[in-house]
Amino acid sequence: MIGRQFSFFAPALVMSAWATVMLHTIASGHINRLLSPMFRSYVLGAAILLMVLSALYLFLYEPSAETPKPALAPTGRLRQLGRWMMLLIPVIAASVLSPAAFSSSTLEKRGLDAAPASYQMPTWSTTGQTDAKAVVDSDPNQLAPVEVTDLITISKSPSLIKGFDGRKVHVVGLFNNSSGNLKLYRMIMWCCAADAQPMSIALTGNTTGDWKNEQWLEIVGTARFPSTLGHVVPQVEVESIKATQEPDEPFLSP
Amino acid sequence: MFFAAAFDLPSAPASAGIAWPDVALSFFAIVLEGAPFLLLGAIVSGLVDVFLPANTIKNWLPKSKTQGIFAALGAGLIFPLCECGAMPIVQRLIRKGVPPAVATTYMLAAPALNPLAMFSTYLAFRNQDPWLMIVLRFGFSLAVLIFLGFWLIKLRPDQMLRAETITGSPRPAQELSPNPGLVLTPRPGLSLGGLQQFTGAVIRDFTGVLLFLVIGAAAAALFSTGFNRNLLAPIGHDPFLGPLAGILLAQLLCLCSTTDAFIIAAFVPFSIPAKIAFLVAGPLIDLKLYWLYRSAFQPRFVHGLWIRALAATFLLTLLYSMHP
Repeated sequence: MIGRQFSFFAPALVMSAWATVMLHTIASGHINRLLSPMFRSYVLGAAILLMVLSALYLFLYEPSAETPKPALAPTGRLRQLGRWMMLLIPVIAASVLSPAAFSSSTLEKRGLDAAPASYQMPTWSTTGQTDAKAVVDSDPNQLAPVEVTDLITISKSPSLIKGFDGRKVHVVGLFNNSSGNLKLYRMIMWCCAADAQPMSIALTGNTTGDWKNEQWLEIVGTARFPSTLGHVVPQVEVESIKATQEPDEPFLSP
Repeated sequence: MFFAAAFDLPSAPASAGIAWPDVALSFFAIVLEGAPFLLLGAIVSGLVDVFLPANTIKNWLPKSKTQGIFAALGAGLIFPLCECGAMPIVQRLIRKGVPPAVATTYMLAAPALNPLAMFSTYLAFRNQDPWLMIVLRFGFSLAVLIFLGFWLIKLRPDQMLRAETITGSPRPAQELSPNPGLVLTPRPGLSLGGLQQFTGAVIRDFTGVLLFLVIGAAAAALFSTGFNRNLLAPIGHDPFLGPLAGILLAQLLCLCSTTDAFIIAAFVPFSIPAKIAFLVAGPLIDLKLYWLYRSAFQPRFVHGLWIRALAATFLLTLLYSMHP
């Protein structure tokens, strides 16, 4: 009797659990670390639809009166329970266990420490170049608020380097020192965190402090573009450095 | 040795093992990205079930199987679908009488020939000869799809499909699906037959394929997080190993066809043939799609599809790599 009731309620339970996980991920802001902005509204829509489907299912159907099968038969209650649990447990566990940022181990595998020539600045539109040009054209006597990606884009163009080398900048990013080279990086995300790729600049100068890997830092310093082995490496000579909060959009979308 | 280093097994530095929280982050992102499209596919499948009679669909289709394959390739261009959303729709079309070879060709063509995928290829490579990349991607994808289509029309439905996909009714003995015993008993006294049929179809399709998305996402998260993609860089420009590296990377990263070009365009160590191999092989099959295909097709068929798709991609890109 209990098994029959479970079999009936399992689809509604699974669909409403997925909807709840989706809504909680949106409400907590964790979705900003998982999906690019375009996909977030799809998740909200899916959550609402799954709730509606759960309600419709309970309204339109009733428990079947079929004769019970042995628990471990292919359609037995225990087998079914196991299959439904496979839909419930991984997604709930992942929602609880997924961290705010990738660890150094994964960053290394995704090219954080790759040679400067190994990765190009990904391009989605011309916005990146436009932003970089706007930064270069801004008042040289003012502190220029820039993203890590602006400095990388500038580093690919000799004319932009000429116009920006030595400018005072304000930049926010994640700290990494796992290879002995101080870096400030941001993750670029196309669709979801699984495809995210780190893009980094080097840090020199006054970086004293007990900074931990994957800690968010706010830095003021001077932009430099030295050439190493024929490749320009964007870097910031740090003048002041302090810990800061994770921004609303921890990943950058190109 | 290479395998151990690539996956950071014990011979690699201890500090660089698989980071399980990162696997959880990737897994969660992949399922959250895929589930809405899977649900959309299930809803379209439900609408097809209720509103499209089997005879109507049969009347639309060419009588010859060969023409059907080319019609499926054309449909892949005109009605683009993402990989996750296609699965429930294709299963429904087969149950409605569309020949499995035609429906399967459409399933493979929709993400591979997708106009959005070509547009994103243009954007991603616009500083690296975009038209050459589009022509190569589209041309090689089309060639591989035609090759696969002519293989598919030689197969009987029972050689391709799981029994449940053919009949539409659960066949418990072969089920991995979570709902083999999901018996939908309409509540008596409700005169909502159409809504009941639609809701039942959506729930059965969504929960049936969702399990495979979960398994595929777990595999994709594990490999995309654990695999050190920089290890492929030294062979990315090799005329023979480059295409192999591109195919291997596509199998492990499991990217959508509309965004894969941006990832590979930024990967400088790969030659053009390696990048094309990545862009052609990925939308046809990868670790995630392998499991999604298992929701409708027999394992032996999926293995055959996997081998043929990758072998054809490799041969074409190798030939291009060798050309003077």
